[in-house]
Amino acid sequence: MVLTGAQIVMECLLEQGVDTVFGYPGGAVLNIYDALYEYRDRINHVRTAHEQGAAHAADGYARSTGKTGVCIATSGPGATNLVTGIATAYMDSVPLVAITGNVNLNLLGLDSFQEVDITGITMPITKHNYIVKDVRDLAQTLREAFQIAGSGRKGPVLVDIPKDITGQKCEYERSQPLPPLPHDFPIEERFTSALELLTRAERPFLYCGGGVLSSDAEEELAKFAGLLDAPVACSLMCQGGFDQADPRYMGMLGMHGTNTAALAIKNCDLFVAVGTRFSDRVLCNAGLFARHCPIIQIEIDTAEFNKNIEVQLKVKGDAREILERLNSMLPQQSHPQWMEQIAAWKEEFPLVQKPRTPGAVTPQQVIETLDRLTGEDTLICTEVGQNQMWAAQFYTYRRPHTFISSGGLGTMGFGLGAAIGAKIANPEKTVVNIAGDGSFHMNLTELATAAAYHVPIVELILNNEVLGMVRQWQKLFYDNRFSQTDVDTTTNFPALAEAFGLKAYSIFTADEVEPVLREALAQTGPVLIDCHIDRDVNVLPMVPAGASVESPILEMDN
Amino acid sequence: MEYTNSNPSPVKEYILSVLARNKAGVLLRIAGLFSRRCYNILSIVAAQTEDTEYSRILIVVSGDDRIVRQVDKQLSKLIDIVQVDVLEREKIVEREHLLLKVERTLQTSEKLVEIANIFHANILNVEPDSMILELTGDAGTINSFIELYNPYNVLRILRTGAMAMPK
Repeated sequence: MVLTGAQIVMECLLEQGVDTVFGYPGGAVLNIYDALYEYRDRINHVRTAHEQGAAHAADGYARSTGKTGVCIATSGPGATNLVTGIATAYMDSVPLVAITGNVNLNLLGLDSFQEVDITGITMPITKHNYIVKDVRDLAQTLREAFQIAGSGRKGPVLVDIPKDITGQKCEYERSQPLPPLPHDFPIEERFTSALELLTRAERPFLYCGGGVLSSDAEEELAKFAGLLDAPVACSLMCQGGFDQADPRYMGMLGMHGTNTAALAIKNCDLFVAVGTRFSDRVLCNAGLFARHCPIIQIEIDTAEFNKNIEVQLKVKGDAREILERLNSMLPQQSHPQWMEQIAAWKEEFPLVQKPRTPGAVTPQQVIETLDRLTGEDTLICTEVGQNQMWAAQFYTYRRPHTFISSGGLGTMGFGLGAAIGAKIANPEKTVVNIAGDGSFHMNLTELATAAAYHVPIVELILNNEVLGMVRQWQKLFYDNRFSQTDVDTTTNFPALAEAFGLKAYSIFTADEVEPVLREALAQTGPVLIDCHIDRDVNVLPMVPAGASVESPILEMDN
Repeated sequence: MEYTNSNPSPVKEYILSVLARNKAGVLLRIAGLFSRRCYNILSIVAAQTEDTEYSRILIVVSGDDRIVRQVDKQLSKLIDIVQVDVLEREKIVEREHLLLKVERTLQTSEKLVEIANIFHANILNVEPDSMILELTGDAGTINSFIELYNPYNVLRILRTGAMAMPK
């Protein structure tokens, strides 16, 4: 059938099973929005307050479902506003298709109104991008975009479409989504070598990254941990990839990892890394990371081998497929002494925050209470900074895709948009965004989206009136010179929330935490909780820059 | 046993032969990748292949062994790139094209021609005070040629960068 370019965009979204997109209209996407109007019974469009919010919402949608998220923006500033969101998705390998409008073909390159070279701008932060200059290429380009976004190591793809292309007509034929691009499966020899190392180890350490979630490997991972009889640590990106209520779980590894994980890496004799790129936030000092034992790395992106650290055995491929194979080969191992030692360390070094003044609220109390009041399928989103680390440390994630956070790029302002996207994708689940007051301030405009679309999320602000994480570094390394981090905001968050149309609550004292959380969680509309905490609560443990991951600071004055 | 990071191999030049889909922006994608990952391009030569759908791009990179493996793998991840080969110098023929302009005086003229003859270089242009020479050869030959002219005040050099083909 003959359709306009804009209608072809709609049909291609439907081909991929897309029923929800996030975006913001504008001149160069008028045709696309006209088609969205026509297809509104099949494609739900959520208009955010700002394009960055749309990108984060599509990202939250993708992270919480495993599906590819879609966002749409107009040319020029619309497109550039997506950039932070695209970069966030890129760093965390989240499948995303961003569709941008551009000026008419004959106006390209002439510094036309709202023209920007968005393919040039996003080249370093996308897996691939396209500008479509012939309507006959449009459908195939969009199909390829989804194929690339969802294949191998996933990530964002941008498709830029000049306005006249969306208006031109062309023959369209419905087609199946393209199959994922093929990826490698390791040669037999790798499995034999792995098996040799795995069966020889007496004190194995199993470390997991976001690849576990992207490949849906959580079940095989749990089985593997059992067969190997190993303790497990996860990166920030793998929260929920392993059941944190399992006695094997040691907590995070890295800059704000647990002391148990630090002691375990110091004492292990084999380090097995699954679906992870050894970020500098995990390695800390790369030269001092697990240098006394061999490392096995299971990873789909071959460029991650020997990039940040040299490993002794590289097993390239999909984490689930590889673990499945290893599980079929590996005889049951048994390391009772090692596991007892791990349990003893966990007992000796729990994560504890004590209130500095009696009755003061601690982040630990808030998040552990939240954990107690919510089910294991609750989705926790975070902003970036102390709030993010506390959310990772004190909530017990038991299922994959329940923790949504900007790990690689560390994007303050990510969480609110992501929470809206996650809630729209999972209307039956409770969604809480754990925020800091600094991050909330960055993209608080998205409260308007939550209110307008009645998206019942809980925006939980741990309000310490400072930019806590940076301030914590200033304490440690800049002699308490709190340059620009004592914000002392004058914004009245509850009043602000009410102005947007949200219900708002405040928490000032420890005994208010549970009743307020209970009431907020019971609401059917979006709510905001302004929870006042002490500005001098630090994120601990902490490995200072340049130190070994084995030697975290466990306590700080103030 | 200690599993230290192995010592980096010495920095040397590698020639990468890259087969890419002949799409707009593919050179920009490659150049951008080198720039953001802090790899050094010494030279880059790109042209269509016998099949106009594809381009062949030859890149001379300087780095240690680890860097070159990273370049290879990162390049291979680009969607428009079909294949990357790190060429071994002994298994290829390598050619580069040089134009060299050197100062000429009555005293040096004869000497300048003599050097050109040794290398079978072409004299493309002679002016009263300068001379332009042309030479094709591998990087080593080109380098020695330039070195021999250096004492005579080289005014300008243009090199195309290496082309290389496996034997």
